[in-house]
Amino acid sequence: MKKLLIFATGLLLMAISFQVQGQTYKTRDGYVYFNPNKDQDHKDYAAATKEGTGVLRVETADVAFLVQMKTFHFNNALLEEHFNENYLHSDKYPNATYKGKLIGFTKDMLTKDGVYNLTSEGQVTMHGVTKDFKSPVKLTVSGKTATFECEFKIKAEDYKIDIPGIVKPKLADFTPLKANIKFQLN
Amino acid sequence: MKKIIALTIIGCCMLLRVVAQGDLLDEINKEDSAKPQRNFTTATFKATRIINMQSVELTGAGNLQFMITHHFGLLWNKDAGAQNLVQMFGLNAGIAKTYLALDYSFNRWFNVGLAAAGTSNFEGWMRFKLLRQQTGTYNIPVTVDWISTANVNSSKTATLVGEPVWNRYSFMHQLLIARKFSDKFSLQFMPTLVHNNVVPYGVNNSNNVWSLGVGGRYKVSDKKAITFEYARQLNMFDFVIMKNGTIVNYNPNLVSIGYDWDTGGHIFQLFASSTTMSTNIEQLTRNPYNFAKGEFALGFNINRSFGIKKKVKEL
Repeated sequence: MKKLLIFATGLLLMAISFQVQGQTYKTRDGYVYFNPNKDQDHKDYAAATKEGTGVLRVETADVAFLVQMKTFHFNNALLEEHFNENYLHSDKYPNATYKGKLIGFTKDMLTKDGVYNLTSEGQVTMHGVTKDFKSPVKLTVSGKTATFECEFKIKAEDYKIDIPGIVKPKLADFTPLKANIKFQLN
Repeated sequence: MKKIIALTIIGCCMLLRVVAQGDLLDEINKEDSAKPQRNFTTATFKATRIINMQSVELTGAGNLQFMITHHFGLLWNKDAGAQNLVQMFGLNAGIAKTYLALDYSFNRWFNVGLAAAGTSNFEGWMRFKLLRQQTGTYNIPVTVDWISTANVNSSKTATLVGEPVWNRYSFMHQLLIARKFSDKFSLQFMPTLVHNNVVPYGVNNSNNVWSLGVGGRYKVSDKKAITFEYARQLNMFDFVIMKNGTIVNYNPNLVSIGYDWDTGGHIFQLFASSTTMSTNIEQLTRNPYNFAKGEFALGFNINRSFGIKKKVKEL
């Protein structure tokens, strides 16, 4: 009986360590780009960050992504200041986060090179507002890297981002964003 | 017994699953905070000037900034009476000093500028950001800048004709120490040394003029702010004996209040200041106007910056 108990506990401990340690991939250099201009060939308001943090839990196909607003950089420093001070209020809401699931993802995909089309569904929190989010995601596995690419659009008003009337005519109603998140597999 | 154990194991496993799943957001926050944290304070001031004085802000890295400053005549001239009205409180007085400046930041901590400083003066400066206010790995409560400015007077004024060229130069060295106390309130302290190559003759002469200044801003909204400045000259203002023997008294106090308005593309700063001079060197060493007698003059700065270096790369 006691042996069984010890065995069971051992199994349990193994399960814990396996669950917690294994099958979670992390990255700290996720890339996000956006260009709010109406005419996408005009890139004077475009900004990008290369410092997003991402976590992928393989077993459950859970994903999460976090970007510090102040890591977004613009060509014009004044725009960057406006972005942080007037639009996103980055001191008050320092991060944008995404938490969701990868629909159609299986862990076998990471072991075989190829391109997979998935969908991600979850919630985006930005500027203190949480919204449901759904978008197609392209997963490219090549050797030891898994790259998730996602192009999506968001509406500034949905996140209570106030855009003054004088700027509005120059901006697209829906801001297109591109994310590129690479995980190193082990 | 076996049943109990089996149940316990199942129970534990379920519990475990919950624990292991946890909240991914917590995990990602943990992961994010595991990065070296350096929370830099940004936008201590709106513009590179508070009012007359330079602020700790540099033009953004790779950005070229163009600034136009005007200092008009006195708001109210005591002797002029009704003439003040037709002079539109100095705006129409015919005395307006223009200061046109271009400055470029090579990176986050090094900035150079060139200016046509009015009345045939030219200025150039180098500015270094020595410390940035931040929390996280390092806890630094203030931002510190060093500015060195050279001014050359290229006018054909009588006192300078025939003198060596070097006598036309003066220099200003300034240490700017600023802290953003809150979203709205920032304060800056600025000890200044002005070195004039020309020494006025007299018993109390000195090439070096020292002053202490303090400036601040209070944001009334995201885009609008009230600013103020006070600078006090410490020497060389009482009974300065000029070369031709005349005795001059300057006023050691420089008082200004201003209003910052960020229009989106420009930063517009409107101010009233107890000087009509356009360069910091003149303002801090040769200002004749007394704020206590209500001798103020209107003026404005307009800034526009251009992103020269393209930093944003699309994958």
